[in-house]
Amino acid sequence: MKFLLLIFTVIAAGLVPAEANSLYWAPPNVTVGGRQIDGILNFIFWLTVIVFFLTQIVYVYYLIKYRRKPGVKAHYSHGNNFLEIIWTTIPVAIFLGLGIYSNRVWADLHRTPPPDAIQVNIFSYQYGWEMRYGGADNQLGRTDIAQISTASKFGVPAEDLAGKDDFTSTELVIPYGKPVHVLLNSRDVIHSFYVPSFRLYQDAVPGRTISWVWFEVERAGNFELACSQLCGIGHYNMKAPIRVVSPEEYAVWYAGKVKAAAEAAQVEVPANNPSEKVAKNGPAT
Amino acid sequence: MSAITAEPPHIEDHAHHEDVGFIRKYLWTYDHKMIGLQYLWTALAFLFLGGGLALLVRYQLAWPNTEVPILGQFLPATVASDGAIIPGGYNMLVTMHATVMVFFVVMPLLIGAFGNYLIPLQIGAGDMAFPLLNELSYWLYFISGIILLAAFFVPGGAPGTGWTAYAPLSAVEAYNGTRMGQSLWGIAIFINGLSSIAGATNYITTVVNMRAPGMSMFRMPLTIWSLFITAILLVLAVPVLSAAAAMLFCDLNLGTSFFKPAGGGQPLLWQHLFWFFGHPEVYIMILPAMGMSSDILAVFSRKPIFGYKAMVYAMVAIGFLGFIVWGHHMFVSGMNLTLSAAFGISTMFIAVPSAIKTFNWMGTVWRGSIEFTTAMCFSLAFVSMFVIGGLSGIFMASTPVDLFVHHTYFIVAHIHYVLFGGSILSIFGAIYFWFPKMFGRMLNETLGKVHFFLTLIFFNMAFFPMHNLGLGGMMRRIADPPIYEHLKQLQPLNQISTIGAIGLGFTTFIFIWNIIISLRNGKKAPNNPWNANTLEWTVASPPGHGNFPKTPIVYHGAYEYSVPGMEKDFLPQTEKAPEHVKLEAH
Repeated sequence: MKFLLLIFTVIAAGLVPAEANSLYWAPPNVTVGGRQIDGILNFIFWLTVIVFFLTQIVYVYYLIKYRRKPGVKAHYSHGNNFLEIIWTTIPVAIFLGLGIYSNRVWADLHRTPPPDAIQVNIFSYQYGWEMRYGGADNQLGRTDIAQISTASKFGVPAEDLAGKDDFTSTELVIPYGKPVHVLLNSRDVIHSFYVPSFRLYQDAVPGRTISWVWFEVERAGNFELACSQLCGIGHYNMKAPIRVVSPEEYAVWYAGKVKAAAEAAQVEVPANNPSEKVAKNGPAT
Repeated sequence: MSAITAEPPHIEDHAHHEDVGFIRKYLWTYDHKMIGLQYLWTALAFLFLGGGLALLVRYQLAWPNTEVPILGQFLPATVASDGAIIPGGYNMLVTMHATVMVFFVVMPLLIGAFGNYLIPLQIGAGDMAFPLLNELSYWLYFISGIILLAAFFVPGGAPGTGWTAYAPLSAVEAYNGTRMGQSLWGIAIFINGLSSIAGATNYITTVVNMRAPGMSMFRMPLTIWSLFITAILLVLAVPVLSAAAAMLFCDLNLGTSFFKPAGGGQPLLWQHLFWFFGHPEVYIMILPAMGMSSDILAVFSRKPIFGYKAMVYAMVAIGFLGFIVWGHHMFVSGMNLTLSAAFGISTMFIAVPSAIKTFNWMGTVWRGSIEFTTAMCFSLAFVSMFVIGGLSGIFMASTPVDLFVHHTYFIVAHIHYVLFGGSILSIFGAIYFWFPKMFGRMLNETLGKVHFFLTLIFFNMAFFPMHNLGLGGMMRRIADPPIYEHLKQLQPLNQISTIGAIGLGFTTFIFIWNIIISLRNGKKAPNNPWNANTLEWTVASPPGHGNFPKTPIVYHGAYEYSVPGMEKDFLPQTEKAPEHVKLEAH
């Protein structure tokens, strides 16, 4: 009965060398923090594989060896307190060590983002994403949750000068080799920011700004931002492209967006956000 | 000795009458055994239904947006169009599958069916403490099931917000599109909760007050200990869910804002309430399975359970720790990060008692004289599958790894290894074990073995690939995986899993066939077909009204198998050990 498991585990483990830098069919990790996560994941994988096979080999051996035979009576024993202490202490030590180490990594992943991190405000809604960048002054206008409305999609107060030149994008464009700090918001229900290649998941909760997510991508590539928190009928298709580019390419793209935003602002005075499309508030019907 | 009342309670004085009529015998009865069977049949029917919903879900994941063979034509318009499942309908199927399986299958089978049937019989009581409450709890369960299923047929259809019903999606009609369906879900959960609370109160009272003379707490079989601890968990956890369901109903229908940020409510409040119930719930659904499997392992190893007291203390520890780990469902929900770290540590600790239990099960079969009956096979497999489910839980318990695997199919694999590989396999084992007592007929062993091996193979085929799907980045609850670039290559795994699930579905028919033919023509069961020690095997199969013709007297624990110096290899709890034999203290 263990053969099937054996086969699957071998397939899973066998793929590690097959696709270098990738773990058991997992998409390759591309972030600095993801390396730490993969490290623990690998450790737990081998720990559990070893524990599984050790216990199951012993177990199946017992089942074969101690199957009913005529004339052989079972051993009469109610247990052994010494063994109980052993197999209580060892798991406690392992799990406590793992828990403490995990929390150190957890704290490290959530340390305060560096001051030079690129800030992007990601707004989620049923069913899509909008990214907001700081614009010419590299400063994001501050989101005031109470002011989010159809007229003010990001809730930036009119008097907030930093928000005047912010621009928006439907794709998340970021440079590699630089820390990126994302501020997560939702306009309606809980959505989640999930990018498996980044080893990153975080819920975006309506009524709040989640401000502790930051990461640094190590190389260029195209990815998909997926909502992984059931958010309604269109949930299955709530995605947005992520483009990781070189810092130079990023600078060019950024300048282009700033310029376009400035031109749009001149056309329609007084400037609000140059919207690329109208946000849907409420479900699509 | 806390109690000596083992007489049947004098609710009705018709214990000696045979002609109580169909209604009083099968539909409105105060006999705990019949109530247990009511739960058994109803929950097995729900198992069939929940399995059907699961197959629809699996079909859509393997072959998205194609017409579902056979079942497709029967689906309501809210779920499918031209026989192919639509995204909103997919969400409904996922939600209803999980709700049905958790609240209407696993809990009623373990607690309603086996709890009711076994508690009085194994502690030597004539019935439950509150027979009327007992029957009421069954009918509340039945009614809540009807209310839940009605949600498929109301305008807007069934709820599609997941069995976790996260607010504000669940709390605002504009977001979920089915105020009526979601409200019915809330009402069903609330009434189902009343049923659980009523049942649990009854169990606790019965176990505390109605044990036969000599049946001290530490002479109780582990089945009773597990059900007793489970009942305490139910009484503490379920009211919180009921309150949350009532608040959700008010948010949906009465304009309150418990969970809606627009009105000053807190979306995370729902999650805290839900998981404060939801995590003890996980143990509510596994503890009785552990207890029953422990007893079956001891009987067919012909050995005392290894470390009886350690087993009891481990279950008590699980019960206690189960209340301080709920936050591990919320590491990445927006909850305070330090709180996540704290819940990470408590979660690591709760793995310890489960490890202790596993080692003790291995100690039980060690140097036994193992007989591989179908009941034993299921219980043995339960241990292995539970080990897989337990080990995969370590991944999510590590806070940083949860950043990667949270809400992916890895979690789906994990819960199914615990809930199906654990609870359902154990329930099958328990059915094969106690069927002779319940119906006076043996189940067919050959069909049983076929059922067992096919179940084990198809189960692993259906659920093991989900680990890889999850690590490959497949999110839960998405209706159409291949629309994501990184999931296209994983589609073969989805198809393997679905084929396994279909196999599992067909295997159920072998089980049903076995039940039907065994009820009609099965071998007559003697009082004690397995040579087991517990009290239910000292009376007729099936036991008469009032269970025990004479209040039994208990002389020792339930696990005196293969005592040296004795001719037979078992010693029923009602039999004194012979003079020259010395029983080991435990």
